[in-house]
Amino acid sequence: MFETSSENPAPVRVVTEAIKDYLDRLGPIWIEGEISELNERSGGMAFMRLRDTSADMSLSVMCYKNVLATVQPLPANARVVIYAKPSWYTKSGTLTMSVKEIRQVGVGELLARLEELKSLLATEGLFSADQKVGLPRLPRKVGLICGRNTDAEKDVVENARRRWPAVEFEIREVAVQGSAAVVEVSAALRELEANIEVDVIIITRGGGSFEDLLPFSDESLVRLAASCATPIVSAIGHEKDSPLLDLVADYRASTPTDAAKKVVPDIAQEIADIELLRNRILRRLESSLDYQSAQIAQLISRPVMKDPMVIVTTRFEATQSYRQRAALAFAGILDREKRELKQVRAHLRSLSPQSTLDRGYSVVQLDGGEILRDAAAVAVGTHIQIRLAKGQIGAVTEKSSRAAAAKPDNTEK
Amino acid sequence: MAAEKKLSYEQARDELDEIVQSLESGSATLEESLALWERGEELAKICGQWLDGAKAKIAAARPVAKNESE
Repeated sequence: MFETSSENPAPVRVVTEAIKDYLDRLGPIWIEGEISELNERSGGMAFMRLRDTSADMSLSVMCYKNVLATVQPLPANARVVIYAKPSWYTKSGTLTMSVKEIRQVGVGELLARLEELKSLLATEGLFSADQKVGLPRLPRKVGLICGRNTDAEKDVVENARRRWPAVEFEIREVAVQGSAAVVEVSAALRELEANIEVDVIIITRGGGSFEDLLPFSDESLVRLAASCATPIVSAIGHEKDSPLLDLVADYRASTPTDAAKKVVPDIAQEIADIELLRNRILRRLESSLDYQSAQIAQLISRPVMKDPMVIVTTRFEATQSYRQRAALAFAGILDREKRELKQVRAHLRSLSPQSTLDRGYSVVQLDGGEILRDAAAVAVGTHIQIRLAKGQIGAVTEKSSRAAAAKPDNTEK
Repeated sequence: MAAEKKLSYEQARDELDEIVQSLESGSATLEESLALWERGEELAKICGQWLDGAKAKIAAARPVAKNESE
């Protein structure tokens, strides 16, 4: 290091020579990235920009055309590994990596690396079922990450609207392939994850080459998606493509249309279901009402309720039978009494003095009705009544003699 | 009748059931029987009002589906 101060600064040449000296001592290194720009000048040199596959960082790389020719033709966004040495140009003070060797990273190798990453993430449990969260039945807002003006976007939006016309989208149109894809998709995902109104996030992209879909297997993006609390639906490429994002997504849709079907319910179906449930409730209510009605009808139709007269008639019948019994008993008593009366009357008749009177005897009575039995009991001139068999005579006594008067006097039989 | 409105359907039905049973047993006096019968009529009316009200509500809720009701 230099000892410098404001009074004793180092001149440019010393500083830039020192940097060059330091960098020259570094050996060449192996670097992997994507070629995002390739600029072949007229001379023997080509310049290119090598981008990181996950982060928004890049290096300027210089390559001799004869070195570049070993891998040409290169596809767009080719994934390459270069063996390069950093060099410092003292004239302009710029750093360039000069390529000594360049190799395209083959599909086979990428696949092998994907498999490696996949098994690493699997052992970490990122794909396990208990990491998955259920999709909301009806999200407030649907986050949608897709390419600009793509069919995938249209498919999702149109199909979701058809099913649920009131669906609201938060759409983030980003690069879905190339070196910027990972960075832009990740940023959009973070933003939508932070939006509390977004209840589900769809990440979609139409079909493409293996390289095109590589960003959706990027480790940093896959880990970010796995860490999201908001349910994620992935709809990347075609059925056969399976980027690692599919494995951490909470639902893997086969197509953008399928994703739309998954995130919103079909309004027609919902209405039909509700109508069905409503009918079930009503039918159930009706049948229980019918049952209750039958119960009440059954109670009301019981004889005591239907013909309450029985309350009276049963008792009336009881009184009637009492009356009958009473009448019968009374008639019996009356008969008996009549018979007895006849007997008494006959007996009475047998005791009557009439027959004695018929035979010529008379009964003499004083005016008070007292029967005379002794002549001495009456003074001369006493009024007497003589009862004969037929009628009676009033008389006055003239004389009396106890013995003589005894003859025509009363007799008892 | 205003106080009877507070009687729930189940209360009215259960009481009606008891009344019919005690009337059928015939153990009540005439005076009691008459009172029971009158009460029974009243309760039957309350039950009927509940059920008719409920039926009317259901009928109002499904003006279309008339095919199998009744």
